[in-house]
Amino acid sequence: MLDWSNVSTLAVAAILTAGLYATMSFGLALVYGVMKIINLAHAATMMLAAFAVLSLNRAFALDPIIGSIVILPLFFVAGMTLYSVAVRRVAAVPIASLLLLFGTWLVAQNAAYLIWGSEDQSIVTPYTYSTIDVLGLHIAVTRIVPFVMSFLMLGAMRWLLGSTDLGRAIRAVSQDPTAARLSGIWPERTAMIAFGIGTMLSAFAGGMFTLIFSFTPDFGGVFQLKSFAIIVLGGLESFLGVALGALVLATIESFSILIPGWRASLVNLLAFGLLVIALVVLPGGIASLIARRTGRAVQ
Amino acid sequence: MTFGRNPYLTGILVAGVCAMVPILRPDDLTILGVGFLTFIFVTQAVSWNLVGGFAGQVSFGFAAFFGTGAYVTAILWSHAGWDPILTLPFAGLAAMVVALLVGLPCFRLSGPYFSIATIGVGEAARVIAINLDNITGGASGLVLPFNVPEKAWFYRAGLILATITFLVAAWIRRHRFGLALFSLRMDQSAAESLGVPTALFKNLVHVVAAFFVGVSAGLYVVYLSYAHPDQVFGFDLSIGMVLMNVIGGIGTLWGPVLGALIYFPIRQLVLSDPRLVAVNLLVFGALLILIILFEPGGLLGLLARAGIVARSGLRLAQPAEKRPE
Repeated sequence: MLDWSNVSTLAVAAILTAGLYATMSFGLALVYGVMKIINLAHAATMMLAAFAVLSLNRAFALDPIIGSIVILPLFFVAGMTLYSVAVRRVAAVPIASLLLLFGTWLVAQNAAYLIWGSEDQSIVTPYTYSTIDVLGLHIAVTRIVPFVMSFLMLGAMRWLLGSTDLGRAIRAVSQDPTAARLSGIWPERTAMIAFGIGTMLSAFAGGMFTLIFSFTPDFGGVFQLKSFAIIVLGGLESFLGVALGALVLATIESFSILIPGWRASLVNLLAFGLLVIALVVLPGGIASLIARRTGRAVQ
Repeated sequence: MTFGRNPYLTGILVAGVCAMVPILRPDDLTILGVGFLTFIFVTQAVSWNLVGGFAGQVSFGFAAFFGTGAYVTAILWSHAGWDPILTLPFAGLAAMVVALLVGLPCFRLSGPYFSIATIGVGEAARVIAINLDNITGGASGLVLPFNVPEKAWFYRAGLILATITFLVAAWIRRHRFGLALFSLRMDQSAAESLGVPTALFKNLVHVVAAFFVGVSAGLYVVYLSYAHPDQVFGFDLSIGMVLMNVIGGIGTLWGPVLGALIYFPIRQLVLSDPRLVAVNLLVFGALLILIILFEPGGLLGLLARAGIVARSGLRLAQPAEKRPE
């Protein structure tokens, strides 16, 4: 049971899933960083993106990978619209913004029920069942592609936040909105763009999920919780923390099948368990742990 | 106060009027049944408001308490052969234990982060209940004995429970404890600096709320003679408690009561047609957005705006002086 090929297969699966988890969570972390609100519409965005990719696939036989990219501008604009029409008005009151975004989730979810019904949907592509052999391991194409795409996406985000004026503005507003305003940054506009980018990242993750999972209008909820566990574990605002949090969750989920008497339906409990453990023993997340050990902050 | 000066007196008066129904219409089973379920929902909404409104900790995980209470009653009644009435305090106590287990880690998070964690609580409780199938009956549910009391009995029991819950809420609101909850809702650090033990009080009010939800769940399964994890642990129960409060007026005394009176009949009407289930939450979700954007005080806020009642409860709108230019 516990031989080398099993362990390495599980480890590879964990790393591949972690890439996608990191992208999914980073949207949430970005919005949290700039606005200090948790975007409960994150779940709705992932779900709507999955259905948008499905619809494009049904209507134009568009490949889900391309579909996930095609929809991004749409979700970027939708996110900015949601922010400027609604979120902006209540952003200063945490409970109000939470309830507002929760309402958005309810509306989106139930609109999806009316449009697409409650059946399990999935997209089957010519490569859905094919695998690639890497170092003697059979790895599904549908796992590698989201990982590579996520890697590229996160690389682009790293560049955007690290090397552009917009990224510097976003980081400045995250650290201190008042100081940012005094330096000539317009925090509301920056927040709107950050919300758009966050929504876009969630949509990208949602589109990629269609390669791996079947989905219903309910499907975002579980991933919302996973994203939250990941960013809490990662320390809420750190780029590296999110990546590490994603890796920890994906590893635990992947290796959970080795537990005797384990049931697949219990997998979604792991994220919650991890969240509780993170809150009790590691309130600042992995980032603060590293910062304490090395004596410098993790960005 | 909203409905007269003395909330205890008003509450008892309203309950007294409601108590006339089984005397005047003893054979109208529809009214008695709907009345009973309404009281269950009022109990849930008023209990939720203690945590979500008074203390400002919006929870999406109250279904965990409802489900626990429901199953404790169901199991003690059907397996151990207890009288259903005797099981109710234990249903409440079990829900309190769950509330403590949930609150100890989750209240380390404040405000919205607590809320997200509670989404996990509800989901975790439901998944655990489905997987403990030798206790809960798993995905096929648990069919309970049918020798239940008559509907008028349920009506009275529900009314008494809802009234007690309301009176406790009214008492907390007037007591120092309630004042401490309001203070931690407004500014947790300031409350702590003034000596309010915020963690203790949050857990305390959470446990009190869970007790009433647990008892109401016990009554509910006795009434239905059936318990299913997806039903008594369902996320829609948690959503319902949030919606009833937002509709009526979150953080007020009468808001959750009014919210339950509006939410429950519409839900009941709509759920009789399975095709309309999605429409139900779509409409309530849209209502939630509109209320938060335009009148965060809910129905009582609207009434206050019209000058009918005094404004009370949680201020969700931005204070004018803090509005960004």
